[in-house]
Amino acid sequence: MKIVLPWLRDWVQVPGDADEVARELSLRGFEVAAVEHGRLAVIDFEITANRPDCMSHVGLAREASAIWGLPLEAPPEAEPASSGPAERLDVVLEDPDLCPRYCAQVFEVRTGPSPAWLGERLEAAGIRPINNVVDVTNYVMLDLGQPLHAFDLERLAGRTLVIRRGRRGERLQTLDGVERQVDPDMLIIADAERAAAIGGVMGGAASEVGPGTGLIALESAYFHPASVRRTSKRLGLKTEASLRFERGADIAAPPAAIARAAALMARIGAGVPRGPLTDRYPSPRAPVRLRLRAAGLARLLGQEIPAPDVPRFLEPLGFTVEPARDAAGPGWIVGVPTWRVDVSREADLVEDVGRHYGYDRLPVTFPALTAPQPQPDPRIGRERLVRRVLTSAGFSDAMTFAFIERQAAQPFCTPGSEPIPIANPLSEKFAVLRPSILPGLLDACAHNRRRERRDVRLFETGSRFTGDGEGRAAAFLWCGAAVDPHWSLPARTVDFFDARGVVEQICAAFGIEPDFRPAERSFLVRGRTAEVLARVDGSMRTLGSVGQLAPDVAEARGFPPSEEIYAAELDLEAIAAGSPGGDLRAELLPRYPSIVRDLSILVDEVLPAAAVRGTIRSAAPATLVSVVEFDRYRGQGVPQGRVSLSFRLTFRATDRTLTDREADEATSGVLAALAAAHGAERR
Amino acid sequence: MEDPARHIDELRARFDSDLAQASSAADLRAVRDRYVSRKGGLVSHLLKSLGSAPPVERPRLGQLANDLKLHIDARLSAREADLPPSRQALEAVDVTLPGRPPRLGHQHPLTILRERMEAIFTRLGFLIIEGPELEDDYHNFEALNLPPEHPARDMQDTLYLGTPVRSAAGSPATLLRTHTSGMQIRYMEQHPPPVRLIAPGRVYRRDDFDLTHTPMFTQVEGLVVGEDVSLADLKGTLFAFLRELFGPDRQLRFRPSFFPYTEPSAEVDISCAACGGTGLGPKSAANRPDDAGCAMCKRSGWLEILGSGMVHPAVFEAVGYDPERYTGFAFGLGIERVALLKWGVEDIRLFYENDLRFLEQFPL
Repeated sequence: MKIVLPWLRDWVQVPGDADEVARELSLRGFEVAAVEHGRLAVIDFEITANRPDCMSHVGLAREASAIWGLPLEAPPEAEPASSGPAERLDVVLEDPDLCPRYCAQVFEVRTGPSPAWLGERLEAAGIRPINNVVDVTNYVMLDLGQPLHAFDLERLAGRTLVIRRGRRGERLQTLDGVERQVDPDMLIIADAERAAAIGGVMGGAASEVGPGTGLIALESAYFHPASVRRTSKRLGLKTEASLRFERGADIAAPPAAIARAAALMARIGAGVPRGPLTDRYPSPRAPVRLRLRAAGLARLLGQEIPAPDVPRFLEPLGFTVEPARDAAGPGWIVGVPTWRVDVSREADLVEDVGRHYGYDRLPVTFPALTAPQPQPDPRIGRERLVRRVLTSAGFSDAMTFAFIERQAAQPFCTPGSEPIPIANPLSEKFAVLRPSILPGLLDACAHNRRRERRDVRLFETGSRFTGDGEGRAAAFLWCGAAVDPHWSLPARTVDFFDARGVVEQICAAFGIEPDFRPAERSFLVRGRTAEVLARVDGSMRTLGSVGQLAPDVAEARGFPPSEEIYAAELDLEAIAAGSPGGDLRAELLPRYPSIVRDLSILVDEVLPAAAVRGTIRSAAPATLVSVVEFDRYRGQGVPQGRVSLSFRLTFRATDRTLTDREADEATSGVLAALAAAHGAERR
Repeated sequence: MEDPARHIDELRARFDSDLAQASSAADLRAVRDRYVSRKGGLVSHLLKSLGSAPPVERPRLGQLANDLKLHIDARLSAREADLPPSRQALEAVDVTLPGRPPRLGHQHPLTILRERMEAIFTRLGFLIIEGPELEDDYHNFEALNLPPEHPARDMQDTLYLGTPVRSAAGSPATLLRTHTSGMQIRYMEQHPPPVRLIAPGRVYRRDDFDLTHTPMFTQVEGLVVGEDVSLADLKGTLFAFLRELFGPDRQLRFRPSFFPYTEPSAEVDISCAACGGTGLGPKSAANRPDDAGCAMCKRSGWLEILGSGMVHPAVFEAVGYDPERYTGFAFGLGIERVALLKWGVEDIRLFYENDLRFLEQFPL
């Protein structure tokens, strides 16, 4: 809302320049977008949705009057010229729900340009002058906040205005030249035959006031806010009028606004009334009176307000204030002006008193802590732990959007399911909710790759979305070097075991011993994919998967097909479920030495390492404390189709020093079991 | 060739005498090189020469030579172990070559700020809660005094789901939350007062991309409810939080505003770091009349940082709190905006590109 400073001074003689006026009003809740120091100083305020009354000069003048303690003066206008012979106009209010009040009056007009002062003010306020009649309606709207509309009376069939709902299939061309379809949810103003305006939104082209217009019907109404808003949204049509009506106009204003227009038309010689004011207001609203308790005021603000300040702040704003004491102590009965549609409770009055007392004068205090806090949400700690593990593993923390392109999401959906669409996406790039965090990370890797960063490790923790709802997950992506380049080390690119190792670390952080099984995922390479499982409540539950990203998926996001990218995604709820709860029990350190035996065997190369490990574990006595695969070799000396595996077995007893013989016997037992189960030969 | 057995004895005697004379690590290394280095060592040479001995002699000589080698190794090792540790004795490395630092990932700047804020509020006695990003209309709007067709819904242009989605929190979700206030409603539905919590998380609005807008951003909202919580308490809490976050040098300003779920409502401004709160542009120093003023704060000297207010009685009614008995305050701020005001990140889109050159500017 652009306030023209000299115009504001018609109402109240505010001191100071535009910057000072802007600063004082901004401290009372009227944010300033800009101050223009032109020939007419203009302050552009951002009026909040609760204060439609301040989408006008008089509204801000009332605030200024309360700030500076200056009187509000009615602007000097000529008395309206007396009415000529009455011209007929019929007003039929069919829908008082959507239009609780409708006023109209006939004027005889002489259209032409407005005087310079009026045109300049309108232009300074951001409205293009059109002709003196239309300009007067706009001027009154900016002055009082009440939108007006002028119909060319002689182009209204039957000289009738019918305020009714639109009919199915009914159309009209609005003033912007667009042909629009109305419907029974919309309120329209019709003549005896057809729609002539969309109530509170825009007039029709057919009855537009132009150079040939001789008589007008001047409309000043109160339209139902929700109805105007619905209509304006449905038609995609926002106007100065609809913005005011949808927030709530002043139901007392329509007759006064017509009177003001009449006075202005008389002053600039634009027209004179030809007939009495018609005012259809079938159910007048009762005035709102509220109780304001001194104790409630002090309690909510945290500051006692001197009693004389309450009328001093409220009366200039149009409230009536009478002291009143009741059981709750001293206070006031406050009459609310009709334009203050935002004031319906005591708290609303507290705000007005507080605003004009000054928030800057409030003390600085702290709320008392009266009870201990409940346990914190466990999700916060567990995501911090995941972040700690992954940053320690060299991954940087990424944040990607929750909505992505449909094609990017598709490979990550479980077979047979579709990503969840957004009904009104910003663009196709943000069409669906992500079913996985990985597509966003993949694009982030691609972004870095295009900027000469080929070695990328990124992770993200966040929500992902499927038909079953939303869940929290952690995902990482690794491409390029497995180890940072160094003069002492051979270069190596990331492989499956780098990625699996990171998953093992995350699981270890939660006290989980994961199981990795060969698996298939639509977005991972077959044969280089593992499902990660853990024991939860006695059965195996999937935590997620790890593997090489399918080259076609990566290629679609701008990677060369040869690039090997490894990825993993873990369900954080499953991890939490698999994590042993309760307090940890510390173990005493071993008191007896351990014995190490290395074992090299030849087995079929397709035999999974986990099978060999399982056989070793079950064949060995309880003194076996660890099994480590330390070599895997194919080539010279190893027959085709076989592989040499080397294990380091560590034995230790908790109650005595083991003998070499015991270790040897255990190792022989393991060898025999491996030979029986897998045809293993000692190497 | 002389008698190999005698030669072995001589070698042993020479070695014993050389070893006896050796006194430093360097001497010992020289002795080791002379006798047992693979190339040119006397014992290595001896072993090779045994190939030319008569076959019947070879096993015995081999045994003798091997015994000598074991003798030398054992004596050398014993002497080396006895040596006092000497720094000069170890091979020098070029300490100016780069090391092998373990790779550490960087925290996202928004994570850093979020955790910093969580730490401040935790110290002020606040609980941290989390909740769903998909919400129903009731928890996102209606319970917050935003009925359908409320004009203030325009303040938060909403992204809706094409199909309702099952929600663990209750009724099916139909939209992406526009703020984290829905979590506060859920919390109040389940817990009686007092309440003192913050709700951080990602929120979504149908905003086009520009320097200060992305359709997803991160918020921290707070809520305090008790029997005598006041606007002055709100001011005190926010000022304490912001002074810790931004340091004592920035000025703060508390002024009225509007939000549908609070009454009275307030915003907090922080003095502009670019102009030091003067509102003046770079040309003002030279007293240029054409100074356009500070571009960051648009001449005002202040930057808006946070919205807040006293919880609207209608919100308490929606969750079953008695608004006559309880009062409370709520506040919310965007973490991206804090990053802008604190670190000067002037393009919010950088936070979501995940360019490592950007992420790596922030501490580990």
